[in-house]
Amino acid sequence: MLRRRIALAAAVLAMLAVPAHAGDPVPVGAVEILSGPNAAYGIAIKAGLDLALEAVNAKGVLGGRPLSLTVEDSGGTKDGAINAVRKLIGRDKVAAIIGPTLSNEMFAAGPVANGRGVPIIGTSTTAKGITDIGPFVFRTSLPEADVIPVTLKKAIARGVKTIALLYANDDAFSKSGFDSMKAAAEAAGLSIVAIDSFGSKDTDFSAQLTKIKSLKPDAVAISALVEPVSGVLLQARQLGFGKETLFIGGNGSNSPKLGQIAGAAADGLIVGSPWFVAKPDKLNTAFVAAFRAKYGKDPDQFAAQAYDTLLILAEAIDRAGDADPTKIRDALLKTDHTGPLGPFRFTDHRDPASTEGVVVLEMRGGAFGIAQ
Amino acid sequence: MAAWLGDLYWTYQNVVVALGVNGLLALSMYVVLAAGQLSLGQAAFMGLGAYSSALMTLTLGWPFWIVLPASCVAPVAFALAVGGPTLRLSGVYLAIATIGLGEVLRAVYLNVDALGGALGLSGIPEQASPGVIFAVLAAALAVLWLVGRSGTGRAMEALREDATAAQAMGIDVGRVRLAVLVASAVLAGLAGALSAHATDFIGPNDFGFEPAVTILSFALLGGIGSPFGPVLGAWVLTLLPEVFRGFADLRLVLDGLVIVLAVLFLPRGLLAWRMPRKAA
Repeated sequence: MLRRRIALAAAVLAMLAVPAHAGDPVPVGAVEILSGPNAAYGIAIKAGLDLALEAVNAKGVLGGRPLSLTVEDSGGTKDGAINAVRKLIGRDKVAAIIGPTLSNEMFAAGPVANGRGVPIIGTSTTAKGITDIGPFVFRTSLPEADVIPVTLKKAIARGVKTIALLYANDDAFSKSGFDSMKAAAEAAGLSIVAIDSFGSKDTDFSAQLTKIKSLKPDAVAISALVEPVSGVLLQARQLGFGKETLFIGGNGSNSPKLGQIAGAAADGLIVGSPWFVAKPDKLNTAFVAAFRAKYGKDPDQFAAQAYDTLLILAEAIDRAGDADPTKIRDALLKTDHTGPLGPFRFTDHRDPASTEGVVVLEMRGGAFGIAQ
Repeated sequence: MAAWLGDLYWTYQNVVVALGVNGLLALSMYVVLAAGQLSLGQAAFMGLGAYSSALMTLTLGWPFWIVLPASCVAPVAFALAVGGPTLRLSGVYLAIATIGLGEVLRAVYLNVDALGGALGLSGIPEQASPGVIFAVLAAALAVLWLVGRSGTGRAMEALREDATAAQAMGIDVGRVRLAVLVASAVLAGLAGALSAHATDFIGPNDFGFEPAVTILSFALLGGIGSPFGPVLGAWVLTLLPEVFRGFADLRLVLDGLVIVLAVLFLPRGLLAWRMPRKAA
């Protein structure tokens, strides 16, 4: 008995003493909102990452080494994001970080990773200026500034000449989306007849809508999160906005929740999306099928972006030939990947290079379909 | 320093910074509570300090040793301006008025383009080292300790126990209340400036209602018998989420549990000890 115990102890010690070898996992980290009011985004992203991790580890990176992914909760606060990034780099010695979820978190946590020379890749940060933080900050989420022109092109093809802009002025996402909308509308030669704002938690938009209705624009573009957008649409229908007015949504309207909350009132709204669940290409259908098999529900845009990002990172680690953060950064710049989001490359400024993958969606009977 | 020790410190550097900043905020709450005022304007004062100091650094390019003291100017001016009318209120009415003022300021940050709107201000140079932050905290503790033991400290305590009796004893109630509000503004303003210059980024939601309540909970958890209580409370509440990081999903539950237990079993705060006073 005693001898067996000694043998066991020796075996355990031997296991602990094994030197680093080719089979060691490559540590990478992710910082997402897993608790608090915005947890839905972080949980969707984590689901996408976990699915991608299985795909990557089926064959491993750097000749068979598994990727080990540590996901930390930021709670949606700037201190939470900074602490999580510092913990991942300082304690877990990760080679690269995916996240954080919100642009404001990235503005606080990005400089920390950048200062330490660890690549940090936002999958859902769409605000202006994210990649200006520094040379180690990347993002795979198309900024609103790239998506909106594609949506407006579709609107113009339908004969839109005048437009009114509405936005929520109290969160970074909506405000930044509005700035892009305004710039894109001006660039596309649309005449802007009105600009109005509201608060994200407002429930009454009749003052803004009545004013807009009297100006009779061809289209109304709204930059806000999905709840206020639904409220605006419901009230607009009550005030008599009909089919003659085209409603255009920003990235915040790109959620199935829009149909659930606003129902028929949302019909006809168009929105540009970097990804769509029913996109017919082979890589996307395979991803959607795998996601359904693992989680029993449809993936959303955030899960798709996260999934593709981990694949992009794994490929970059392979190309770098080493789990060294600086080499991974250089390899990321040479990304040439095709996944559920479509063809993907980075610009020299570490933003997504192409808008080929953007699909314009239209709300019909409470659900999104590809716009004609 | 050994490499692993350096890494360990780097990992928790932001937690160390938060301990200092939250300690100052707790003291800012302590000074008003010590005089019997339930004023929840600390987050607003902090925001004024943070925004004004960030602008001084980013647009005026002033050196940090000028910016830090100058960061008190805006919060103090605001305290003096609102002090007159609001200090006629007491109890929950004062709390409501100060929450309202905080929300007004938050709306200002959101709507003024020069302050970055909802995007906040980013790229603030990291000039506030932990050394500076803890030096300010130590200085604040020392000053509050000395004031607390002086006649002013006794006047504050008299005011807290019974304002009418204190007035009858010849204490200038209005002056003491305005003085503690200004002291609170100075401490919160410094905390705001230090925090802005330690974390690169400030946004309007860092200074809304939620932080105001968090700051109140620092002081209440620690106990207001001495300036050390609130600082201890701030440290406990700052460390808990990091200590429990390993528990992932249960983190917030454990956090809440600790606070509930503390309130149930230590109603006078973690540090119920009251500072000794000199005989009059």
